[in-house]
Amino acid sequence: MKAEQFQVVQEETLDQFILHVSGELDLSMVPQLRMALEPVMNRTDKALILNLKQLKYIDSTGIGIIVSVLKLRDELKAPFFVREIPPSVKRLFDLTGISRYLIEGTEAQA
Amino acid sequence: MNAIRLQIPAHADYIDMVRICLFGIASKMNYAYEEMEDMKVAVSEACNNAVIHGEFRETSNVIDISFEPKDSGLTIKVKNNGVSTFVGEALEKASPLPDVDVSGLRVGGLGIYLMQALMDEVEVNASESGTEVVLTKYLDAAAEH
Repeated sequence: MKAEQFQVVQEETLDQFILHVSGELDLSMVPQLRMALEPVMNRTDKALILNLKQLKYIDSTGIGIIVSVLKLRDELKAPFFVREIPPSVKRLFDLTGISRYLIEGTEAQA
Repeated sequence: MNAIRLQIPAHADYIDMVRICLFGIASKMNYAYEEMEDMKVAVSEACNNAVIHGEFRETSNVIDISFEPKDSGLTIKVKNNGVSTFVGEALEKASPLPDVDVSGLRVGGLGIYLMQALMDEVEVNASESGTEVVLTKYLDAAAEH
């Protein structure tokens, strides 16, 4: 097993901020993800998208952050999508019940 | 007893070491990939609790992890020194997110629930010397899938 370094790469288009999240998101990486979210999560002029395609690990600490972003974006009435959820991550989203709140949003839709 | 022990500083930066060690032991025991992933999350949750509750103590502290392989399966004990707020009551209350409006969702509290959902047995022993979380995953469960 190779522990992959957690990384967030931001992409900006005309109408969206896309955060590509990769590696292992555990308690130690929570500050890093928060820092990446900070400048974009309050922006109501663009949709916020988390792309999890390269995410190898998540636990309740990472899921907690997604719940807090969901709540914030709901409050702001601003669009928020979580895209390309890997099967191992999806399983935890299903177990915790967060899945029913997530809108996957395809490239075409967004 | 053939226990394999690991001691880490009670800090978030070391929890990945516990996952790496667990992965090695579970691989050798022939657990299915998905079960190893489940155990990784459950053990990390136990460590998360130890780290988060340990933050409020002034003395430097450690987390002791004991991996105990048996024919029936793997038991992992995660122990931290110090008084814990992590008690039996929390175990009973643990649940997934309720089916409510987004604004009513709570942010924390999913860790204990995940441990219960991902392992076959979860036990919390709180004493004056510290808190021990005992997680067990049976190997037979692998054969059933």
